[in-house]
Amino acid sequence: MKLDPVTLAVMNNRMAAIAEEMGVVLGQTGFSPNIKERRDFSCALFDGRGELVAQAAHIPVHLGSTPLSVRAVIERLELAPGDVAIVNDPFAGGTHLPDVTLVAPIFLDGERRPFAYAADRAHHADIGGMAPGSMALATEIYQEGFRLPPVKLMVAGKPARDVFELFFANTRVRDEREGDLRAQLAALRVGADRLLGLVAAVGRAEVAAAMEALKDYADRLMRATLKKIPPGVYRAADAMDDDGFDRGPIPIRVAIEVRGGHATVDFTGTAPQVRGSINANYAITLSATFYVMKCLAAEAVPANEGLMRPIKLIAPPATIVNALPPAAVAGGNVETSQRIVDVLFRALAQAAPERIAAASSGSMSNLTVGGYDTFRARHFSYYETIAGGAGAAPGHPGASGIHTHMTNTLNTPIEALEAYYPMRVTEYRMRRGSGGRGKFAGGDGLVRELECLVKSNVSLLTERRLIAPWGLAGGGDGAVGENYVVRRNGQREKLPGKTNLGLAPGDRIRIETPGGGAWGRTRK
Amino acid sequence: MVGIDTGGTFTDLVAIVGGELRVHKLPSTPHDPAQAVIEGLKTILGGAPADAVTYSSTVATNALLEKKGARVALLVDAGFEDLIEIGRQNRTELYALAPERPEPLVPRALRIGVGGRTLFDGKIATPLAPAELARVRKLAQRSGAEAFAVCLLHSYANPTSENAIARALAPLKRSLSVSHRILAEYREFERLSTTVINAYVAPRMVAHLENLERSLGRARLRVMQSNGYAIGTRLAREEPVRTILSGPAAGVVGAGDLVRAMGVDRFITFDMGGTSTDVSLFDRAARIRSLSYPSGYAVRTPVIDIHTVGAGGGSIASVDAGGSLKVGPQSAGANPGPACYGRGESPTVTDADLVAGRLVAENFLGGSMRLFPARADRAIARLARAMRTSAANAARGVIRVVNANMERAIRVITVECGHDPRNFALMAFGGAGPMHACELALDLGIRRIVLPRNPGLLCAWGALGAPLGREYSMTVRETAPELRRLRARARPLITRARAELTAQGAKPAAIKLDLRADVRYRGQSYEIEVALGPRFVNDFHQAHRRTFGYAAPDAPVEVVNLRLRAAAGGPSIAPARIPRAKSKPMPISKMSVIVGGARRIVPVFARDEIGAGAKINGPAIIVELSATAYLSPEFTLRNDDFGNLHLELR
Repeated sequence: MKLDPVTLAVMNNRMAAIAEEMGVVLGQTGFSPNIKERRDFSCALFDGRGELVAQAAHIPVHLGSTPLSVRAVIERLELAPGDVAIVNDPFAGGTHLPDVTLVAPIFLDGERRPFAYAADRAHHADIGGMAPGSMALATEIYQEGFRLPPVKLMVAGKPARDVFELFFANTRVRDEREGDLRAQLAALRVGADRLLGLVAAVGRAEVAAAMEALKDYADRLMRATLKKIPPGVYRAADAMDDDGFDRGPIPIRVAIEVRGGHATVDFTGTAPQVRGSINANYAITLSATFYVMKCLAAEAVPANEGLMRPIKLIAPPATIVNALPPAAVAGGNVETSQRIVDVLFRALAQAAPERIAAASSGSMSNLTVGGYDTFRARHFSYYETIAGGAGAAPGHPGASGIHTHMTNTLNTPIEALEAYYPMRVTEYRMRRGSGGRGKFAGGDGLVRELECLVKSNVSLLTERRLIAPWGLAGGGDGAVGENYVVRRNGQREKLPGKTNLGLAPGDRIRIETPGGGAWGRTRK
Repeated sequence: MVGIDTGGTFTDLVAIVGGELRVHKLPSTPHDPAQAVIEGLKTILGGAPADAVTYSSTVATNALLEKKGARVALLVDAGFEDLIEIGRQNRTELYALAPERPEPLVPRALRIGVGGRTLFDGKIATPLAPAELARVRKLAQRSGAEAFAVCLLHSYANPTSENAIARALAPLKRSLSVSHRILAEYREFERLSTTVINAYVAPRMVAHLENLERSLGRARLRVMQSNGYAIGTRLAREEPVRTILSGPAAGVVGAGDLVRAMGVDRFITFDMGGTSTDVSLFDRAARIRSLSYPSGYAVRTPVIDIHTVGAGGGSIASVDAGGSLKVGPQSAGANPGPACYGRGESPTVTDADLVAGRLVAENFLGGSMRLFPARADRAIARLARAMRTSAANAARGVIRVVNANMERAIRVITVECGHDPRNFALMAFGGAGPMHACELALDLGIRRIVLPRNPGLLCAWGALGAPLGREYSMTVRETAPELRRLRARARPLITRARAELTAQGAKPAAIKLDLRADVRYRGQSYEIEVALGPRFVNDFHQAHRRTFGYAAPDAPVEVVNLRLRAAAGGPSIAPARIPRAKSKPMPISKMSVIVGGARRIVPVFARDEIGAGAKINGPAIIVELSATAYLSPEFTLRNDDFGNLHLELR
């Protein structure tokens, strides 16, 4: 399907604008800090077959994986006008349980099959499970929280009250969940309204043709990118520190074969799935690959299904890059996804050494704090990710204290955090000297220290605490991260990368995040 | 009474002298903007002394843009010295192979950590000890800084510690920016960034204003702010960050002043220039936003909401590897410029306009600059080959694609904010605006276009009529908001506003107060601003429904900030009338123009020769000194009594 260059440009613009507008509504009306302050969500449009047409990506990890949710919904449910499906099951199109995806069919008048779909995904601050925030050290998915296979949340425009109640009964902060779902529903409505408006303005056939053409367009751009890479097989390996239970390292291996505008990305040789929660399901591996390929393209390739057409992904089942039930997966989304990116770039650095940067911090340094807030007489659950150092690139040093690769969430303002949660931030600064040394230095990580004002449960899900972010072209590695608890009496204990622990009022949790790798040898 | 804009290449002046309106334009003097101001005043006033001057200055803007601000020392809570660098810990480009962010304005060595801690409810957990004050004063003194910025956590809730530091630093006689005085709102990074930028630009602004005041003698000088109000020089020296986007803001205010007389009070400004295009929404008043990012740095003082896209007449068109036509963001700029300027080869929007017959080569900048149509033809023909189509189709395609970019920009400021663009007129100006306005309006369903007279003077005009005013805000975080209580909490703001405006020469009776509240559902993080009246909660629900498609009337609401807009009305100014049309307008020539899909011979009119009340049916081309307008066949043009062209859909 090929449209003329002008119509293609105009329709690309219009589709992207619809997805972005959905994002504005969701971001500005969401309730949990994840959505409202940190913008941990994405919105997308799909065609009638459930293929991604446009996505406003705020968070790369959602890219590429949302289509699997939509397909799971289409396979399992018969959606009628006014229906909205909900899903978070990592083994039925989801990523990890806190990411809740809503899918709405868009019908044209008089048609019996959906013309298109709108979907949005948001990271909810709590989805039940063994610890507040649903990111605890678990060994199977049943401990991680409430699991929703594709079910109808709205039926013919009316809320399915029983589904809502079931959902709320299984999460810790009901009001917040309700507000977030309402915001997600509003964003879907905007998406549907705007797409219907576009159909009314330019015609059904034109919009349908544009959807096909945009996918072909992304396909062509991606092939053009791959053609610029010298043909060959590029191999690399990297590893996760551990899974929080057994000793590591846990290797991830990849071989990327590039030939004639196509690539095969093969993870054969990667470690089997593990007890702890760092298992990535297939959706995550797909997302990470999607992200790396989009970075590689010099032009702004629209984020749609066509981008992945020239790329074949092989992720052997029952490994940490394609986990099977009942594996725990909360950390696969946030931590293993970063390592998959690292290993892909490490392989590509051999193919395009003049473009690829050294490893960035490689961990989102996930911190979850929850408990009962005695000051405000309510339960609380607070989640944040802490940035690290970026890897240096050929030509310039890595940025410090910045989110890289699969995440881009904002920090919660200290003045908001302290006003709404029983915590106090006692330190937040660059971790000087943590970036790798070299011709171009790696960026520094961060130091973040929080004091708990009430008895709290803390979960840490962090990586690169044992295996450092690598430098490139002779550049030094970034420093590994370190986690501590500083007790009220001043006693300081080092904590493992992944742990659950209880804190008493006055205790502080201190996270020092990894630096980025350097690029190039320092001249003596 | 004179309004002045020193915005760009030219310094523009508009004056009312004895009831008579005078305008003047002269080249700017970027090394010392005051020089052109003084020179221009001499000419426009015929040597008579100025009585009152309001002007929009780019001194603060340029200090930030060119990184030529002051050496600033920053005093923040110990342990948080790097907050200025960490920002919100995000990156602006998601898919860059290596993320970058702007250089912090205060280097690490000049950040001073201060002991003590204030909490969100205003309680002081650890007081700031006298010994600590003495220590930081010594460090500040040794820093060699020209300006100090002070920003402590939760100072909006209790400014005691910030004030103590300010008192300790006062004897050092440096420019001092204290966060709670500039912005008493929560969210530490944005308050900090605003305070630092203020400190960074203040010394340049102070020197400039002192210089200007010396030259002006007894004249009363006022400075435009980014929110469209003017302030006295004392405040401008203390809070220059408020002037950072004053030029474009003055333009929007000027546009409002100009067409209000004609009953147009809801419009979208569309200022399409060479490298970028500014759009903004005017809904009986200019829309204000509270957060902006000039040169990539966060500023959280109110600014007129102007949305900029990197596309304009100089944007380069090309076909990408996937077979899509791309227009911008690369721009040929002024040098080499579009192919038709005679130096460059790349096809641009201006070249497409020329090929399409929307631009009259002989009339470019009043005939003062020569264009080379053959070069535009060649550049567009090359593009057409890549597109596998005719040159005419390629030219139309470039116009369509750049218009699609513009359409998206306008959707951001209308649809995404709960407004329907069809309820607004499109006010087009800038070198390329009037050429693209008709087709853009058709795409958006807009039925009326206004092409203001003397568009180059809109900013100076806005300065001339700008009311004296300032915005005040404070974080209140009322989770069970009650009107009486909120009004009581606003009292200190009102007292301060009255005192400050009176001190700047406003008559107490003329001060208008507009008290507003930032409201959200309890638990949300994005607020909607509503007037603080008896029905403000209801107004909030309605605004939420309008903007986001739903409301939750049973959900508890929270008032986060109070905002006070205090203004003392500006002079009422009326634009000069133009003579009535004596006869039907006569074309000065004819030219071949692409209209719809085909070429047609279209009449060309000189704007100066169209009298008040005259009408012209499209298609037509209208030429004037600074721009060419394309009137498409769907529109009829009517000239109003003041020389503004109104294009109405037939």
